[in-house]
Amino acid sequence: MSGGWERLKGSRSRTTRDSSFHTPAPSRTVTLGRVQPQAPGHRTIYCNDREANLPVRFKGNSISTTKYNFLTFLPKGLFEQFRRVANCYFLLISILSMTPISPVNPVTNVVPLSLVLLVSLIKEAFEDWKRFQNDMVINNTLIDVLQNEKWVALPWKKLQVGDIIRSFCRGAFCHLLVIGPDFLTEFLMLLCHLIVSTFSNSNFAAICYHLSFIGKIEFGNVKKDGFFPADLLFLASTNADGTANLDGETNLKIRKALERTWDYLTPDKATEFKGEMQCEQPNNSLYTFTGNLIFQKQTLPLSPNQILLRGCSLRNTEYIVGAVIFTGHETKTTLAKGNESMGILNMGKVMMNSMNVPSKRSTLERKLDKLILALFATLFIMCLIGAIGSGIFINRKYYYLSLDKAVATEFNPGNRFAVAALTLFTLITLYSTIIPISLYVSIEMIKFIQSTQFINKDLHMYHAETNTPALARTSNLNEELGQVEYIFSDKTGTLTRNLMEFFKCSIGGEVYGSGVTETELGGAQRNGIKVQEVRKSSTAIHEKGFNFDDHRIMRGAWRNEPNFDACKEFFRCLAICHTVLPEGDESPEKITYQAASPDEAALVTAAKNFGFFFYRRTPTMIHVRESHVEKMGKIQDVAYEILNVLEFNSTRKRQSVVCRYPNGRLVLYCKGADTVIYERLAGGNDDLKKVTRAHLEQFGSAGLRTLCLAYRDLSPDTYESWNEKFIQAKSSLRDREKKLDEVAELVERDLILIGSTAIEDKLQEGVPACIETLFRAGIKVWVLTGDKMETAINIAYACNLINNDMKQFIISSETEAIREVEDRGDQVEIARFIKEEVKKELKKCLEEAQHYLRTVSGPKLSLVIDGKCLMYALDPTLRVMLLNLSLNCHSVVCCRVSPLQKAQVTSLVKKGARKITLSIGDGANDVSMIQAAHIGVGISGLEGMQAVMASDFAIAQFRFLTDLLLVHGRWSYLRICKVITYFFYKNLTFTLTQFWFTFQTGFSGQRFYDDWFQSLYNVIFTALPVIIVGLFDKDVSASLSKKYPELYKEGIRNVFFKWRVVITWAWSSVYQSLVFYHFVTISSAGGKNSSGKIFGLWDISTMAFTCVVITVNLRLLMMCNSITRWHYISVGGSILAWFLFIFVYSLLRENVFFVIFVLMSTIYFYLSALLVPVVALLGDFIYQGIQRCFFPYDYQIIQEIHRHEPDDNTRAGLLEVGSQLTPQEERSYALSQLPRELSKHTGFAFDSPGYESFFAAQLGVYAPQKAWDVARRASMKSKPKTPKRN
Amino acid sequence: MEIASGPSTDSSAARTIPIDSSSILDEFKQQNLPACKPVLKPSYVITTFFLLGFIFLPIGLTTLCASRTVVEIVDRYDSECVPGAFRGNKVSFIKDSSLPKNCSRILKVRKHMKAPIYIYYQLDNYYQNHRRYVKSRSDQQLLHGLKSSNTGSCEPEESNNGLPVVPCGLIAWSLFNDTYTLIRGTKKLSINRKNIAWKSDRDRKFGKQVYPHNFQNGTLIGGGKLDPNIPLSDQEDLIVWMRTAAFPSFRKLYGRIEEDLKADDVIVVHLMNNYNTYSFGGKKKLVLSTSSWLGGRNDFLGVAYISVGGSSIILSIVFLLFHIKIPR
Repeated sequence: MSGGWERLKGSRSRTTRDSSFHTPAPSRTVTLGRVQPQAPGHRTIYCNDREANLPVRFKGNSISTTKYNFLTFLPKGLFEQFRRVANCYFLLISILSMTPISPVNPVTNVVPLSLVLLVSLIKEAFEDWKRFQNDMVINNTLIDVLQNEKWVALPWKKLQVGDIIRSFCRGAFCHLLVIGPDFLTEFLMLLCHLIVSTFSNSNFAAICYHLSFIGKIEFGNVKKDGFFPADLLFLASTNADGTANLDGETNLKIRKALERTWDYLTPDKATEFKGEMQCEQPNNSLYTFTGNLIFQKQTLPLSPNQILLRGCSLRNTEYIVGAVIFTGHETKTTLAKGNESMGILNMGKVMMNSMNVPSKRSTLERKLDKLILALFATLFIMCLIGAIGSGIFINRKYYYLSLDKAVATEFNPGNRFAVAALTLFTLITLYSTIIPISLYVSIEMIKFIQSTQFINKDLHMYHAETNTPALARTSNLNEELGQVEYIFSDKTGTLTRNLMEFFKCSIGGEVYGSGVTETELGGAQRNGIKVQEVRKSSTAIHEKGFNFDDHRIMRGAWRNEPNFDACKEFFRCLAICHTVLPEGDESPEKITYQAASPDEAALVTAAKNFGFFFYRRTPTMIHVRESHVEKMGKIQDVAYEILNVLEFNSTRKRQSVVCRYPNGRLVLYCKGADTVIYERLAGGNDDLKKVTRAHLEQFGSAGLRTLCLAYRDLSPDTYESWNEKFIQAKSSLRDREKKLDEVAELVERDLILIGSTAIEDKLQEGVPACIETLFRAGIKVWVLTGDKMETAINIAYACNLINNDMKQFIISSETEAIREVEDRGDQVEIARFIKEEVKKELKKCLEEAQHYLRTVSGPKLSLVIDGKCLMYALDPTLRVMLLNLSLNCHSVVCCRVSPLQKAQVTSLVKKGARKITLSIGDGANDVSMIQAAHIGVGISGLEGMQAVMASDFAIAQFRFLTDLLLVHGRWSYLRICKVITYFFYKNLTFTLTQFWFTFQTGFSGQRFYDDWFQSLYNVIFTALPVIIVGLFDKDVSASLSKKYPELYKEGIRNVFFKWRVVITWAWSSVYQSLVFYHFVTISSAGGKNSSGKIFGLWDISTMAFTCVVITVNLRLLMMCNSITRWHYISVGGSILAWFLFIFVYSLLRENVFFVIFVLMSTIYFYLSALLVPVVALLGDFIYQGIQRCFFPYDYQIIQEIHRHEPDDNTRAGLLEVGSQLTPQEERSYALSQLPRELSKHTGFAFDSPGYESFFAAQLGVYAPQKAWDVARRASMKSKPKTPKRN
Repeated sequence: MEIASGPSTDSSAARTIPIDSSSILDEFKQQNLPACKPVLKPSYVITTFFLLGFIFLPIGLTTLCASRTVVEIVDRYDSECVPGAFRGNKVSFIKDSSLPKNCSRILKVRKHMKAPIYIYYQLDNYYQNHRRYVKSRSDQQLLHGLKSSNTGSCEPEESNNGLPVVPCGLIAWSLFNDTYTLIRGTKKLSINRKNIAWKSDRDRKFGKQVYPHNFQNGTLIGGGKLDPNIPLSDQEDLIVWMRTAAFPSFRKLYGRIEEDLKADDVIVVHLMNNYNTYSFGGKKKLVLSTSSWLGGRNDFLGVAYISVGGSSIILSIVFLLFHIKIPR
């Protein structure tokens, strides 16, 4: 069969070119990942024939994403642990401490190391266990497989290559769901799956019901979208013209089965299907597939159109039948994991765990590395001082040390250099405590709990409507959230809902509609005006695309309006002038509209609600069911003949339809941007124009997208003469578009203004307020969108990113000069010219910006740039200029940018400005940006998972960013800073007391403390309280954090982890260690009880250690902003643990035998234990007092302002709101109370046919949304469905 | 584009937040645990300082008084007790065992000293805390004698002539061996040399059945010898010596005089200057000291308490002034 293979290879390029559904060569921006070289040869699969496939030994369909198994866990896990430098260092020290040069028992270093390793390994094991469970769930999901002429439900893992399966769209399999992290639950779940996999489908429900009865498992969440269990060859589906798997941007990818296989749908038919498939070896290229199906002695070429990828889901059809091609780890999606192109596909939850969580390290942690390095340097200096001292000190004169000739090298005065060198190592083991061994594991634990318990469980970030809590996919970046300075946001789906709603209108100089937009709400809240909620009137109708309420024109009331003629024209214009395609039942309730842009659908829906129901389109006619036309109750179907459609495009910015009424009236209806319509209005009626203009501005300032509606009556003669020109232009071969535009220009004049519509590009809830808050927090928000410039600017206005007080810099490629050069068509010339233009513009803007910056109260600046210009501006020569300009700008909007450019802009700021960046997006096109930024945030809860898959955090709504950053991020940052500095402090203090002692011991490296004191210091006596602080410390409450976003700036400036802070702590350490050492030393001289007895070394060291433990723990309490009972318990517990330990320990060990009892029998002990910690803490207390009184931090001021307010109550109040979030749609507020600011800017509607669809088209996906395609499709639809089967 | 498809609401239903508003766990997850918020207001700072001073000053005064009641006589004798001829070469004097080492010192009591009066010897520049020295002992052997073979740490004084040494190690080997006899007028003052070590040491660290063995029999003699007929637990000199000092300058208890010394008493000390501190330039001092409830004379604690208390009050006043002058 190799001949056939060869032939196929040869014809591959041709088939792809010819395919009308498939544009060649997926764009470069999509396949960022490296495509693996294909294995040589190909695989032959015998469909529906397990025996025949047996010799080839294809891999099974079970997948495993676990890192370890029982055997490899210990070696592999330990290896992972020792990849950390700190652990390696301690291993080295432990080995060193086994040698005779060590002053300490090996136990000193081995115990902490093993404890740290143990904790880490337990964590690893726990995580792997989770992964294992997830795998089990996936592997045991049921799928219908054809066996013995029946569909048998088998778990995914039993699937084999060549099997014929059936995948349902709905209710294909049952998915279990677990409440709470309960081990018992999880065990039960596992058990349940095991049972399910052994029993057949019928018992399944019974078992699950039983388990659900136990109360641990909630059963029966039937997944809506069935996921494909393996890479499949698509054979047949219930609707004959193809099926679709889902893509994230709510557009579907269409897959079409080969016509020859359409029949194999039922089990008995499918059993007969015996094909032989030859295809490529498994590879990670998601968009290519080559293979042949040899079936009924015919060779049929296969293309990606017939391939259904594992993890994708099914829509628009009941079920499909397919043959398994690649299974398990050989599926394309699995092979492509970790590859950026992965993000393009819609992976369901099913595949989620097979994606590696991107590993990013936080900036703070990188800075921590520097601190650790500094500590190493300090350690080395200390050791060096000690070593030199020992070399000088050692002398035979100390006869009691017996340093004669036979003495070991480490004490041999004959070789002082060797003594010094060996002492260096001795001291390294002695001072090893300076490196905080448990720091990393503590931070890891803190962050883990922060992300799994705090972020994931926060009710403030829980979206009740979609039942989506926030999800921290990595716990590495919690504190990074507290330092974000730049946010890069996608527009559609992130800032907006991609939902257009007819919101207001102005007809004949009268405004209708009583809604209040998010933008207005945000503005009102800023000005402190309380917005009252008004009840919706009974006339209010809210459906998709229509959110409008005005009793004056609803339900036919418009007939009583003085301008009812204008109303009629207005509604007719809405119902006729469009390129929308109705679908489904021809009743107002059931019909759905297919439109190139949601704007258009919204307008047609509005017409429907006003009583002009557009229900059918034929190639030449538009049928409208008009009610209340002349008198009440009369419903009339009117058919308008569509004579010409003058399309919308970005230069025309308008759309017209010429139609003929049944009574012969010829009318041209036109809708478009206000600027173009006003240019073409007939003279006169200036009042209306002025009033409408004012209304447009009012709409614009409310963040609405406006369109002007106008009409013109045509006389038959005028029309005929024009139509001739039109037909001529339409049939011309050269410059057809241009000629059509020119012809349209001839008829689109002397228009009569009817009014204007205002469509709300529905923002996500709370977006303007959120952006406002983020601004105040010192965060700069950039919008990177694939949309057109006008749309982007409009949304920027709506979100308060840009306002009229701002100086706007617009760098656009849509200028006359550029267009002129482009028309000439010379690519090199175009590139050179645009680059020059961009350079000129940038330079001009930059100069202007710098001018404004120099003036004291200059306006805020904003930059708008489009993708084409950006491409040149990102050129290495211009990049610096772009960066300088954009960093000076308050907000930046990049429109028409590709995913790659999004990533480039992100890394420009990340690398160029060295600021911490966050990217937020919801779709596949945001994946690269999300991965490029320091922190990637995905919008979850909608169907597209690819952004979430690539992200570090997933939230359901943009507005949750406030909570994520201002509350969780800020707290995390604060806490981690505290934890790190405290660790630094406590270990340095402890080690320095040791260091001072070295000077008094002839630099011999004698340990001051007992081995076990030293080893347990880090892991028991001071370990827990700092973790408590890392979890609970709050400077100000969550509500205050959001009330005063300015507090966030402390994180951006990294106030709490600067070198200055570290040095302050270091001084504190030096001071305290000197106090400990000298106070204890001096005060211990002489007889220490009334019977004149004297203390020895261990008595004094135990005294000193007691002081250290007490002080260090109390110091922690001093730096807490809020003290819960857990603080008391842990701090008290730690001190108590020390005493309990020493009570027991001093009975067991000889050298410290009875020391604590001896000590505690003296009054001296109690006097010192009071004095030394107080003196040690006094320095810090004075520092804190002075700092707070005279140089307070911002948060401290807020603390004092709100000292008397208990924050518990506010929090509890919010909790109730959190659990029953009212949908934004149900809120409406009194418009009259809102302040009015008129905007010069009036946005206009008409979204582009969609950057997304452009993007989809690049992927070889058929996107049926071209406006000019509508008529053709309408004609297709009108035909009755003919049965396809012959 | 299919505009009719809204976001699916039930596809993500698998992730739910269990809400149990009353539980501690929930308060924890919502980071809403009850907490007190200590805000370091100026008034708190001032009050804290004032209170601190208020508590510390009396403690300091009491402590200092106690320390001041202690009468101490210190006499350095290491150089004075070397005969004039050997002043230039003290080491050879001390190493020559044929020379007489006795020496007399005269001490004058300035203030009345109440019994019991403690006799200490003080050594300076003596590194009992050197790493080599500290570990050179065997606690097992001290407790169990020859039964214990766990003497590896005693190196280099582990054994002598092939026989184990009890007590082994450098510490025991370098036992201090100056002796003092005190005479007031014509009457010898009796020195009680019992109960000078901590009881726990005597009872539990030094074996009652362990007798010195093969001790100081070698060519090199470090310090004092021990009576092989007295068990270690009764050799209190050794026990005191072996509780190694923390710092290179230290005192050790020698004995007790259990009668009062009156002011202007003259005491003659006959001492045997046996111990070699001349090699390394160490000093030797004899100390007679009474004791208070706090122990020997040590003004440090008292002074520290007083200065901390005093400065706290000053600080509280300074902060108060600032607070009045620049109110927040």
